[in-house]
Amino acid sequence: MLERKLVNVGFDRVVLRDRRPFGLATLARYPIFAPEFLDFVERVVPPDRHDALVYAVDVTATAAT
Amino acid sequence: MPYFTDADARSIVRTTYEAAAPVGIDVAHVLYGPDELAGVPEDALRWAFGVGNPVRHAGPGPGEVVLDVGCGAGIDAFIAARRVVPDGRVIGIDMTPAMLDRARHHAAAMKIVNVEWREAFMEALPLPDGSVDVVVCNGVLNLSTRKSRALAEMRRVLRPGGRLALADLVLTESLPEEIRRDATALAA
Repeated sequence: MLERKLVNVGFDRVVLRDRRPFGLATLARYPIFAPEFLDFVERVVPPDRHDALVYAVDVTATAAT
Repeated sequence: MPYFTDADARSIVRTTYEAAAPVGIDVAHVLYGPDELAGVPEDALRWAFGVGNPVRHAGPGPGEVVLDVGCGAGIDAFIAARRVVPDGRVIGIDMTPAMLDRARHHAAAMKIVNVEWREAFMEALPLPDGSVDVVVCNGVLNLSTRKSRALAEMRRVLRPGGRLALADLVLTESLPEEIRRDATALAA
């Protein structure tokens, strides 16, 4: 979906440079999340997703000429 | 139907980042290399809230103009600023005044003079068309309720052939509705 959005607004040569799972342990490194929120996420998200709630991606693209 | 209006989302994000109180420097040491962090004050490292290393992927060089969208306390802008010397410059944009104040404080401590800081929304960048060579954006696009609009703005300000490097969080499958309705989760 991100690639499509980039192309739609005028980017080309879209390249996925890196992709890493972003789970509860990673989330806990960020001080914007209180322990209560982390507990909430742990409670409502199935355990098999705790290591990869989302993915962190690095993407590059070029402004089409 | 979105769970949050644009105004609600901006208010939640701004409040969250104003209230943030960093305690460690783990994130910075995971995302950046020792060469990139050399000379960056420890206090600035504690405010690294990104999710990747877009400057490394964009590879800005001497003389280039770099825009850091959602610069926060400035760590990506600092790294870029050192790569574009002697005559390049960086523009750091953020919608949270408290984060811009932190960025200005850290820049002064590092004696970095080729960065200017501006308060603005990513969906309305205060720059002319085609005026920058590189756009970097680290963990910020996901905070927008109008992502396509924000991306269109990044494209507008880039010169033809200019580079975008984006680090962000993406879903491969939906999260439970309780999470999607949660204001704290929105700030992630």
